[in-house]
Parts: sequence; structure tokens; C-alpha cells
Amino acid sequence: MLEYAEPVTKLIDEFKRLPGVGNKSAQRLAFHVLRMPEADVERFIEALQEVKRRIIFCSVCNNLTDVDPCRFCSSTNRDRSMICIVEEPYNLVAIEKTRSYRGLYHVLHGSLSPIRGIGPDDLHLTNLLTRFRPENNDGVEVREVILATNPNTEGEATANYISRLIKPLGIRVTRIAMGMPVGSDLEYVDEVTMDKALANRHEI
Amino acid sequence: MLLEWIEVHNFRNLSGRVSWGNGLNIIYGDNGQGKTNWLEAIYTLATTKSFRTQKLQEAVRFGEDLGVIRGRVARSEEVHRDLQVTLQGNTKTISINGKREAVARYLRQLNTVAFTADELEVVRGGPDARRKFLDRGVVSLHHAYVQTLADYNRVIKQKNRLLQDAADSEMSLDEVERIISPWNEQLIGLSAEIHRGRTDYVERLKDVLERRLFEREDITIRYVSSLEGKGDLGDYEALVAERLKLRLQAELSAGYSLIGPHRDDLEILFDGRDIRAFGSSGQQRSALIILDLAAISVYYSWHNEYPLFLIDDVDAELDRKRIRYLLEYLEGRTQTFITTSKESLVEEFMGRSNVFRVSDGMSEEIGPEMDLIQSAAKGAESI
Ligand SMILES: [Zn+2]
Repeated sequence: MLEYAEPVTKLIDEFKRLPGVGNKSAQRLAFHVLRMPEADVERFIEALQEVKRRIIFCSVCNNLTDVDPCRFCSSTNRDRSMICIVEEPYNLVAIEKTRSYRGLYHVLHGSLSPIRGIGPDDLHLTNLLTRFRPENNDGVEVREVILATNPNTEGEATANYISRLIKPLGIRVTRIAMGMPVGSDLEYVDEVTMDKALANRHEI
Repeated sequence: MLLEWIEVHNFRNLSGRVSWGNGLNIIYGDNGQGKTNWLEAIYTLATTKSFRTQKLQEAVRFGEDLGVIRGRVARSEEVHRDLQVTLQGNTKTISINGKREAVARYLRQLNTVAFTADELEVVRGGPDARRKFLDRGVVSLHHAYVQTLADYNRVIKQKNRLLQDAADSEMSLDEVERIISPWNEQLIGLSAEIHRGRTDYVERLKDVLERRLFEREDITIRYVSSLEGKGDLGDYEALVAERLKLRLQAELSAGYSLIGPHRDDLEILFDGRDIRAFGSSGQQRSALIILDLAAISVYYSWHNEYPLFLIDDVDAELDRKRIRYLLEYLEGRTQTFITTSKESLVEEFMGRSNVFRVSDGMSEEIGPEMDLIQSAAKGAESI
């Protein structure tokens, strides 16, 4: 026999499918929903459905968007000669927060990881190469591609793979630097970061 | 560094606090009373791991939920730090001076070299145990090397999967090379870091190896790269790159990585012969002790302080002559912890050591006349 009535069990099971939600949290969430006013539940359902109905991948850069092409790709005051490649949409948001990067983006939606079954064909790469043709880029030639994949082995492999694709095209390929977090005391930086920062030191 | 005291709550059958001496500490008692548990507690406080079990939660006293090991380390005359490892359910928390701390920083507080039955694999087991011995040594000098090893193992794992997948598919060799290059590229750099770390460490060990510590026994060591004889090891990156290219087909057929320092070994010769194949059990133990002492010396010349030295069941591992040499060598150097069930050993070192008799998990310090000076367990508080 089920511990809870069927609808409750079903809801708990659905919550458990979400990342980071275990059995306990799923139960707590389900019972929270049971206590929610009908109107709140309706609004929640609507939000879920809307995000599925209205959010699509931008056909140019693969970013999440509700208009195609997305606001970055259709903007007239971004530098179209630069493309910054990131793994996930939230990486794009992190870079965008700096407000200092004014170029375009390309979102891969993942990184190479054979043990997770992710190969080059699973990354959103096919529409990257077509972007290098000026006629597909408002007549602007792409001069530089910045690889901003994560600083771990999968991110490195991904950056390396992409640079091998792009370099033969004569486009400048750069990789974001690794090193010290700014505004922190040297004392509080972990050794690995410090080690990388030392290795990547530059002349002043 | 000096471990001033340790306080244990629900760890194995232990409870109470023991104040250790700064030279030789002999933990003495009949088997099954908890001698090794104290050593394990010290080791766990230092490394947050056990040398006896992979599942640390098994070390919490049966039926209890919370196990605590706490200890005070003197880094200098004036700098003392309280370390704590708390085991509750399946979680382990570590803290310095009552504040939770990241593992990387915690691990630098209390360093140990441990001579245990497990560690004997270095002199009688496969190359894996010897690589681990070297890697532990490199980490004790350069903490960032931990990340190098983790990255290397990760890349090897990813590459092995690619090789298996490729073997199952109809990919051409060119295609395989295209998808494997991004991983090989990283392997080159990481392999070189590991190669440099280990060869440098072996050179340091060689410089301080007490070749004749146990009289007429001569020990020599040499790092043996799996690329030896394949080209110029002086330009290691280029050599690895070349081998990776040359051996791709072979790796593909094997289904796993054939090139890199995960195939290297440490050659240990005892009187000119391979210790693993030709050494007697006693010679193997001598060799390991000599290697451990060299590791301690290297650590000292790098950090200007000694790690703790732990020897479990010293009589089972070494004959009396070797024990005597060893303990005399360590005098004035490390804070040393040994366990023994032999009263004769206790009597021999009574004047030059702190002796703790363990019965039923409790430990009490005993003086030169074997009478009770102080009951260490009395000073214990529950935590
Ligand atoms: Zn876009």
C-alpha cells in the first residue's frame, strides 16, 4: 500500500525528479502545495507551462529567449566582431553582469564529457560555424572568439576542441584567464588558484 | 609540529583525553584493548581518514550517532590550534579552533607519516602503492599537486571511456584522433607536472636516504618512467605528445590509456636486487622504514618542522634490533607514536619515552616504576 493517497504520492514523485530534491524535500514541497491557496497553485502551473511554451533557444546563439533571434543577437549596439562561448545560459548572465563585455554570445548547453555520454554532436555547435560568414552576421566579420568554458577538465577539453575547429578559419581564439579572485586577500585564496595565478603571471 | 593532546568521544571503544609527550610515545596494552584505536584516532585527526576502513562512520562506537576526535596542535611555542573531526550519521565535519574549515587548509595543520600493515604494499605490492607513496610525498610539499592528480585521473577516466566507445563504433582513426585530442592535450601538460613532481621528489628522497640505517643493508631507489627508452625524457612534453600520437591505434585496441605517469613505478633495490621480488619480509620492512624516514627528512628540510610518525604494532613489523635503531634515530626528531603489546619494549625505553597503558579503550600514563602517575582518562570531559 502507498504511504500517501495516490495524488500526493504522484506529486512527491514529480518533485523528486527535480535536481537536488531528495525524498524529504519532496515531501515537504508536496505538503506545502497542499496548503497553498487554489489561486497560487494556478499561478504556479501557469508559470511552468508558460516557460515551456514561450522560452525557446535562440536560433543564432542558443541562448534562452522568448523572441528569436534573442535580444543580444538582434541588438544594434553590440560588437558583432566578437563571440564569447559559454557552457550554460547562467554563465552568460555572469559575464553580462560585468557590463564590460559588449560582444555576442554562443551557448553550448554543456561541455564534452564522454563518461556522461556527451560528445561534440551533443553540443550546440553546428550553428556556430555559420555565424562566421559575414552575410549571416549583419555583414560584420568575426575577428575574435573568446572561450569562456569552465576551468575544469571538461571545460578545457571543450575549449580545446572548439579552438581546433575555429583556428584554421583565421579567427583569433582566446581563453579566459584563470587566477586570483579580485578584491580578496592573498591569504584567503586556495593553493590551487594561487598556483594557477603564479603560473599565469604577466609582466607589468 | 606537536600533538599536545587528543580527546576522543565515541570513536571505536575510546573515550577520554590523553596528553602526549613530545618525543617517543609508546601505546602499550594487550591485543583487543584499543591500542591501534588511539593511533587511528591520531591518524584520523590529521588526515580526516582512517588507515583501517574506507567508511569512517564505521569507526563511530556501535549504537552511537555522534563520534568526535579533537586535538591540540602546537605549530610553534605560541601558536596552538584545536582541530576537530566530527562524525555524525554519514557526514564528517572538520574544524580549526571551533570554526568549520575546508579540507585543503585543514590538512596542512597536522602532518603524519604512518607505517602500517597497509603501507607495506609499497615494498611488496604493485606499482600503484609506490606511486601513491610518491604522490603523498609530493602533496606534502606542494598542496596544489592534489588538483593536478585529480585532473589527471579525471582526464584518464574520460579518455578511457572515449577509447571504449570508439572501439565499439565504426569510427575512423582520424575521427578518433579528432575527438581524443582535446583530452590528450591536457594529458601532456598534466603528465609533465606529475613527472616533474615525482622525479624531483625522488631526487630529494635520494639525498637523505639513510642507506645503511640497519647495518649492512644498502638501498637504492630510482623513478622509472614508463617512457624510459622511448626517447628524450628531458623534453618530457614532446615525448608524451609523440608517444600519444604513435600509440593511438594501440590504445584503441586496448580500450584504455597506455601512455602517461599512471604506468610509472618506483624501483627499490635492496643490496642491488628488487625488494619486491627478492627481499625477505624483514628487508621489505627495513626498506619501507628507510623510505618513511627519508620522507620525514624531506618534509623537514622543506617546512623546517617534523611531521608525526606513527608505527602500528611495531613488534609485528620489525625485529628488536631494527626497532632499537629506528627509535634511537628518531630521538630528537619526530614526535613518534608506536603501539606494542611487548612489556620488554616498554621496559627498554621507559626512561626515554612516555608510556600509555591501554585497557578497555581507556589510556593511562605510566611512569618509570610502572606505577600510576596520572590517569589520563580522568581528565576527560564528555563533549
Ligand atoms: Zn541569440
